[in-house]
Amino acid sequence: MGLRQERRAAERLLVAVIDDDESVRESLPDLLGEFGFAARAFSSAEEFLASDCIGQTRCLILDIAMPGMSGPDLQRVLKVRTPEIPIIFITASTDKAFRPQLIERGAVECLFKPFSDTSLLEALNSALHKN
Amino acid sequence: MEVLPELATGDAKDLRRCINDLISLLALPAVWSGGDPSQVLKTLLDALVRILRLDLASVRLTVAVGEAPVEIVRIAERHGPTPPAHEICEALNQCLINGSRKWPPPLRGVMGAGDVSILAMPLGLQGELGVIVVAAERADFPLQTEALLLSVAANQGSIGLQEARLLSHQKQVSSSLDDRVVQRTAELARANEELKKELAERARIEVRLRQEEVELKLSEARKTAILESALDCILTIDHEGCITEFNPAAEHTFGYRREEVLGKPMANVIIPSSLREKHREGFAHYLATGEARVLGKRIETTAVRADGSEFPVELAISRIPLEGPPSFTGYLRDITERKRAERELQRSEAFLAEAQHLSRIGSFSWRVPTDEITWSDQLYRIFQIDRDAQLTFELIGTRIHPEDLSIFQEHIERSRRERSDVQIEFRLQLPDGAIKYVHVEAHARGGHEYIGAVQDVTERRSSEEALSKARSDLAHVARVTSLGVLTASVAHEINQPLSGIVTNASTCLRMLAADPPNVDGARETARRTIRDGNRASEVVTRLRALYAKKDPEIELMDLNEATREVIALSLSELQRNRVTLRQELADDLPLVTADRVQLQQVISNLLRNASEAMSAVDDRPRDLLIRTELNDRDRVNLSVSDVGIGFEAQTAAKVFEAFYTTKNEGMGIGLSVSRSIIERHHGRMWATPNDGPGVTFSFSIPTRSDLLGKTDTKVQ
Repeated sequence: MGLRQERRAAERLLVAVIDDDESVRESLPDLLGEFGFAARAFSSAEEFLASDCIGQTRCLILDIAMPGMSGPDLQRVLKVRTPEIPIIFITASTDKAFRPQLIERGAVECLFKPFSDTSLLEALNSALHKN
Repeated sequence: MEVLPELATGDAKDLRRCINDLISLLALPAVWSGGDPSQVLKTLLDALVRILRLDLASVRLTVAVGEAPVEIVRIAERHGPTPPAHEICEALNQCLINGSRKWPPPLRGVMGAGDVSILAMPLGLQGELGVIVVAAERADFPLQTEALLLSVAANQGSIGLQEARLLSHQKQVSSSLDDRVVQRTAELARANEELKKELAERARIEVRLRQEEVELKLSEARKTAILESALDCILTIDHEGCITEFNPAAEHTFGYRREEVLGKPMANVIIPSSLREKHREGFAHYLATGEARVLGKRIETTAVRADGSEFPVELAISRIPLEGPPSFTGYLRDITERKRAERELQRSEAFLAEAQHLSRIGSFSWRVPTDEITWSDQLYRIFQIDRDAQLTFELIGTRIHPEDLSIFQEHIERSRRERSDVQIEFRLQLPDGAIKYVHVEAHARGGHEYIGAVQDVTERRSSEEALSKARSDLAHVARVTSLGVLTASVAHEINQPLSGIVTNASTCLRMLAADPPNVDGARETARRTIRDGNRASEVVTRLRALYAKKDPEIELMDLNEATREVIALSLSELQRNRVTLRQELADDLPLVTADRVQLQQVISNLLRNASEAMSAVDDRPRDLLIRTELNDRDRVNLSVSDVGIGFEAQTAAKVFEAFYTTKNEGMGIGLSVSRSIIERHHGRMWATPNDGPGVTFSFSIPTRSDLLGKTDTKVQ
């Protein structure tokens, strides 16, 4: 499996996943792989900012609540960049009040965990279409 | 005269002899001078016997003269036996009586065998003095001269006797006079002596009287001093009931001057009119019978003052032990103050009894050496023991719950030994089957006695249980409230693994649907699905344990482990609030006896509070430190420090009050409940402002407590 993914990686769009929860970091890249994307997972916003793949990232799947820099913090940081990276927020919180606020600030979508594979795919399509 | 012829015929010798005899007889009075009558008669008879050569001469007096015998007989000395004088006297008697018929009578046989001639001659002119009788055996007797001589002798004898008699009488008179003088003198002397004695006696009496007077004065002075200085009223009355003495205390008490009341009936002065009749009756009864109801006793009665006000007195009346009509002393004391004090005491005792009744507290004393136990009324009621029963530990033991009896007896024995203060709580099991809880506190006093109180705490016990229940309910409310607050956090906890499960399952399906199917990938995702499912299940179990309402379970537990579990549950919320948690959990922490879930609730509460306190902090890291440590070897501390907004030092105590809150949401009962939980664990909880920003909340609980042993104690 590793070989096939590496081979296709150059052709595929890169989606970055930032979440402090390990199970998300484990499971989401596999599903993104099945969708045909290249995926990389980071455990914090700081780790992502320090990495070399900000430029190639075509879409960001970002957890809201994290120790240190939060998802919205990172959104503010990335807003100044061009081209803008579309962001899909994910959260384990049940507070739906976040969503309109986040979308108003430019987020593509806010998914509440657990979310279905189709709703994620729809959000990814919207994000890539936006570009 | 016949003498002359004889003279004429006799010789001169005879005549001479006759004249000599005559002279002898005439000389006799000279011899007799000063002699007594018997001397006179004796010498006369002797002279006649000699002159007349008589055989017998006798004189018989009709009247006794002086001390001379009535009859004297002289017998001449002769040959032959002489008859006894009394026989001769008898014979003379016969002769003289018979002589009245034949004179001179023959006196035969008197002097012997021959006849005697007798010649009698009266003494005195009429013979009033007596008679002289002479006798001789001679045949010629009496001659004429001899008769003459006898006659002369009788005359001489009469004269001498008369003189002697006179003399004797004179003597007698003189003697009697002398005697009387002597007697009178003696009487005078005696009288004199008597007088002297009397004078001496009088002097002595005088002295004694003077002494007595002095003593009387002294006694009077003493009496006066006593009367004057006595604090009690002293008054004396005579047998008519009139006042004879009234001391200054009485003056002061009754408001009369002594002069005003002396001589007045006491009854009218100091006895209230309502009691006067009774007093008069009693007084009259005593005077009549000697029986008294009030004498020699202390009685309480009522007296009246000059102004008419009545007041209580203590009265003692005694009879004055003197001769004569009875008189009495009365000692009176105004006992208004004492009565008031008595009433106060009674009132205060009544208050105490009422207070004991209301507070369900009874008091007791126990004299240890004698086991003498005294109870207040309330204590009898609490123990349901009859008021008249003899109190013994055995009897008391019958009221004590069988399960607590040994504890009770142990305390009694320890008190006997150590005489230390006692504080115990035990149950009573009363005859009606009711169970009471009593709390006993007693202090040793003077080493021999315990004084203490017993409180019926049954109601307090049940209200404590009710309170405990209320706390439990409150804690539940708090938990539920917390649950509400934590909904997001709980959902977050659950949603994380659920998210993993859903994603993994979706991936798995897609891998299996691929051509060819990615079986290895699907197996891997399926494995992760199961793992996340288990993880979600664990979260649910932990939450259920934390938020279920149930009775506490006391166990030996590791505080660090419990803390880590709470951290695991809270971590996501803390992260979401951008709180950085630092843990300093001591390594060698001993186990504690506690209800795990309750302690975890407290810790969770502290963490949440700390997190919320820092929600407004943007200018510094939201650092949260949780630490555990061993304190004093037998207590374990846990503290949570934040760097939040904090509070003023004076607010530190207030934050534990129920419904105190600085937050806009929440009921403010979290800390209050937390503290009650810690206190139930015999621990304490406090808050201190930090040196820097923020606050540290801490609690400490003992490592070992008796919570485990007490199955009947509910810890909430």
